[in-house]
Amino acid sequence: MKEEAIKDLLYKIADDQLILGHRNSEWTGLGPILEEDIAFSSMAQDKIGHSLAFYTLLHELGEAEPDLLAFSRSATQFHNSQFTELPNGEFDYSLIRHFLYDNAEAIRFEKLSHSGYEPIAKVATKLKGEIKYHVLHANTWIRNLGSSTEEAISRLQNSLNSLMPYALGMFELSVYEQVLIDTGIYAGEEAIKEEWLTRIQQVLASTELTMPDIPSQTPMLGGRYGTHTKHLQPLLNEMAEVIKIDPTAEW
Amino acid sequence: MSLKSLDPRINRLNLPDGEQPPMEPKAAFDQFETYEVFAQKRDNTPFTYAGPVHAPNADVAFLFAKEQYSRRSACSGLWVVQTRHIMVSPYANDDECIYDTFKVEIPEHTAWPLESYEVFHLKKRGKAHTHIGRVGATSYQEAYHKAKQAFAAQHPAVNMWVVKSKNVLQSAEEDRDMWLTLPEKKYREPAAYKVLDRIKSFKEKQQKALNK
Repeated sequence: MKEEAIKDLLYKIADDQLILGHRNSEWTGLGPILEEDIAFSSMAQDKIGHSLAFYTLLHELGEAEPDLLAFSRSATQFHNSQFTELPNGEFDYSLIRHFLYDNAEAIRFEKLSHSGYEPIAKVATKLKGEIKYHVLHANTWIRNLGSSTEEAISRLQNSLNSLMPYALGMFELSVYEQVLIDTGIYAGEEAIKEEWLTRIQQVLASTELTMPDIPSQTPMLGGRYGTHTKHLQPLLNEMAEVIKIDPTAEW
Repeated sequence: MSLKSLDPRINRLNLPDGEQPPMEPKAAFDQFETYEVFAQKRDNTPFTYAGPVHAPNADVAFLFAKEQYSRRSACSGLWVVQTRHIMVSPYANDDECIYDTFKVEIPEHTAWPLESYEVFHLKKRGKAHTHIGRVGATSYQEAYHKAKQAFAAQHPAVNMWVVKSKNVLQSAEEDRDMWLTLPEKKYREPAAYKVLDRIKSFKEKQQKALNK
């Protein structure tokens, strides 16, 4: 039971990172300015590196090799939140997703660095510095653009409004939620969500953006257990193009 | 005629067919200001000039600086200063020290309180300016003289920079863990990609085919 719970936790973290990392990497070469293009690509690369660390932990628990986990599963076997798989819109959309996601990720990692399951605690401790920078990056842009021109503010606000139900889907409860909390492995989604709302609100309060009304939102759930939007499978197909042509290719 | 890109990301953008309307011409000097970046390689080593970035403000300059100057080499801290806040001395000849050749009048009336100034030295041409210390002064001129007293004998330099400490955006002490990145990042470095080997072997094959 406990091991199943740990695997469940590892899968959702790793899959979120892999899928969002891939989505964000789609900005490579298309970013709004060169420096930001590099920054966004670089952080996308970090995310994929983070997913590798968690797939490796899964492999140590008897799951398939990291490459197979990343490239050989179909959409229904993925545990990422729908939030991370939505196709990129314009840059404001990706920036809001980056802001909402990485603030949650930072809290998750702060908590996981004290996890009762030592391998997770070690990895989380090692990675949380990088995520701290991702949050600094996201918050700096939201603070700057969220109080700049009318166009920037309304674009960000629209993206924030449309992404919020999906962002709340990140906190979909695990079927092992209570086991993870009771065994001290994970603080649990509710605790992370509460802290996340506070931090998001703090940043938004320093801008002209408005926090959407949370109680009236319907979180987009299902991603953690294989229910995905139509956008995930094409993304997975694209990611697996090389491995499908030649599974032994070195690249 | 509409062109389909080989890059699926471009096709997903659903760009309208045909000629794009030209962008509006930009106003003269429509660009970000420059900031100068100093990086610390390891804890307890001096901050050394790394290069410039263009940015709309210091916070964003810091982000860009981190990407440009800390991704590919060890780094444990960054300072960012707007270029116009750096006072620059002339250059001394290679065998001279700037403090001997550059004369600065000490302003007569020095007001209180003292402000803190950061001093950077260029040891010789081709090196980078390195943080040499901090002095308290009430003007850049006075800071120059204080720097001369404090550092000239021990640290000869062909050029020096002075910056008010308050104009230096420093990475935070509590964010030290931000600089800890995964050691296994060879893929970030060009050396990890054996492209040259492949090009070489491809050329050799081609040559062999030609010789046949």
